[in-house]
Formats: sequence, C-alpha cells, structure tokens
Amino acid sequence: MTREPATLDVPLVELVDRLLNRGVVLTGELTISVAGVDLIYLGLSVVLSSVDTIRRAGAEV
Amino acid sequence: MTLLLRAIVASSDAHVGADLGLSAVSGAAVAALASPWEKARVAGEPELLDHHRTIQSVFERVPCLPARFGSVFADEAALHSRLALREVDFASQLARLGHRCELAITCAWRDKGVTSPVSIVPASSGRAYLERGLQRTRSDREREIRAEAIVARLLSELATEQGSVRHRTCPRPAVAVSMSVLVTRDEIDGIGSRLERLGEQLPDVTIVVQGPWAPYTFAVGE
Repeated sequence: MTREPATLDVPLVELVDRLLNRGVVLTGELTISVAGVDLIYLGLSVVLSSVDTIRRAGAEV
Repeated sequence: MTLLLRAIVASSDAHVGADLGLSAVSGAAVAALASPWEKARVAGEPELLDHHRTIQSVFERVPCLPARFGSVFADEAALHSRLALREVDFASQLARLGHRCELAITCAWRDKGVTSPVSIVPASSGRAYLERGLQRTRSDREREIRAEAIVARLLSELATEQGSVRHRTCPRPAVAVSMSVLVTRDEIDGIGSRLERLGEQLPDVTIVVQGPWAPYTFAVGE
C-alpha cells in the first residue's frame, strides 16, 4: 500500500476515530475532555483541527 | 488517584497488565484494566495515543475489549460496581471476538481536488450561488456512488462473513471508504496481498491498511 501526501493524515485520523468513537463503554464518574471539549460532545472535526499535533505525537505509534 | 479505564479482559487474564502499571478490578468472569489518572489532568492527543499503545500492549498478550477513551472512576470500588452491571455482556463479547483483531482499510481519494475546502469566495449573483451549490451536490452524489462501487469491490475481494465487516462511505472529504474487518492473524497476509492487487485496479483511490488492532469497532459500546 502506498502513502501519498494527500493521504498522510488518513491513518492517524482513522485511529483517533476509533479511540474516541468505538470500543466498549463503561460510564465513569468523570468524562475527560480533549482539546477543551467534553468527549460526550467531541466530534472528529475537533480532532482534525489539531491533526498536526497528533501526527507529531503519533510518530512512535 | 482516580482510574482511567483501558480494556476489559477475562478474569483469568486480570494480571496481564501488571508490568504496564495497570490495576485490575475483577468480577466473576471479566476484569477491567485501568491506569492511575490524576483527576485534574487535561487530556490531549498524546494521552489518546498512549491509550492506544496501552490497549495494544494488552491485546498482544491476551484477547481484550478496548475501552472507548475517556471514562474515569473515583476508585476501584466505583469501577467494580459499574463493571458488575455489564459483566455478562462483556464476557459474551470476549467469547464472540476471541483472538480476532481489527484491520482498518481506508480508501483515500487520489484526486486532491475533491478534498479542497468549500470556496469562500462570494458568488457574483444569486444564480451563480445556486449553480455552485447544485454542482457541489452533483459532485457529492457522484462520489457517493463511486464509493459504493469501491465497497462492493472490497467486499468481493475480502470474501469474509458479513458480520465481520463494518464500513462507511465518504465519512470525510478526503476519504471514499472507511472499513473495519475482523480477522484472524493468519488471514492478514492474504488480505494484504489481495488488497494490493485490488489497489492496482482502482486508479482513483489509495488503499491504506492499518492493524492488527484490538477490535475497537466490533466491541459494542452500549
């Protein structure tokens, strides 16, 4: 599979989508915020806005 | 210190994350693995990715249900009481998923034009505005139809059971198809080869395959 400039962000966004929107839920007493937005209301667009930051942090993933 | 839920494992695997700094809160059939979490800590991208690394470390050792990021509990007792409410369901999911893992298959449009942001240049007239909107609607519809055709090709190539695939078409401007496939590790190389061949026949998209991951998409949330 090749990775071209237009698709460099795609793998990271796909992973973040799963971390935020999928997986089992066991509602805790607190819900963490990401980028200042409560996860209950957090959509992928919020994460996309900071994808450059995610990419730097994700270099080791 | 509060606890951040990471994953659910069989109770017989409760101690699998001890060297990862994970606390295990065990029920009769399953155990919840959680990390210490400072209540006032602000989460960001590094914390998200650390969540993934932790889950992957557990998943490399034993089957697990990855937890959606963000649930914090005051202490082990609080986590235990919540776990008890879902224990039967979690045990059933662990049995259903077994050792299978998730592959993320993403088809990204090669044409950078389709990923361009919507123009913010004001239309010169009302008619021009409406024509621009109509053109965008047609373009979106064409892409949707094309994405559905790509899904059909993918499903044909994967030839996997229906319950083992989830997909979305055009979830974002740059992406034609976002697909998750539940597979055994033995199947991964074969799937990669088949998708490599398929990619050569689809000139308008680039296929990106990621994984194997813990089965995020197939671990049912609620």
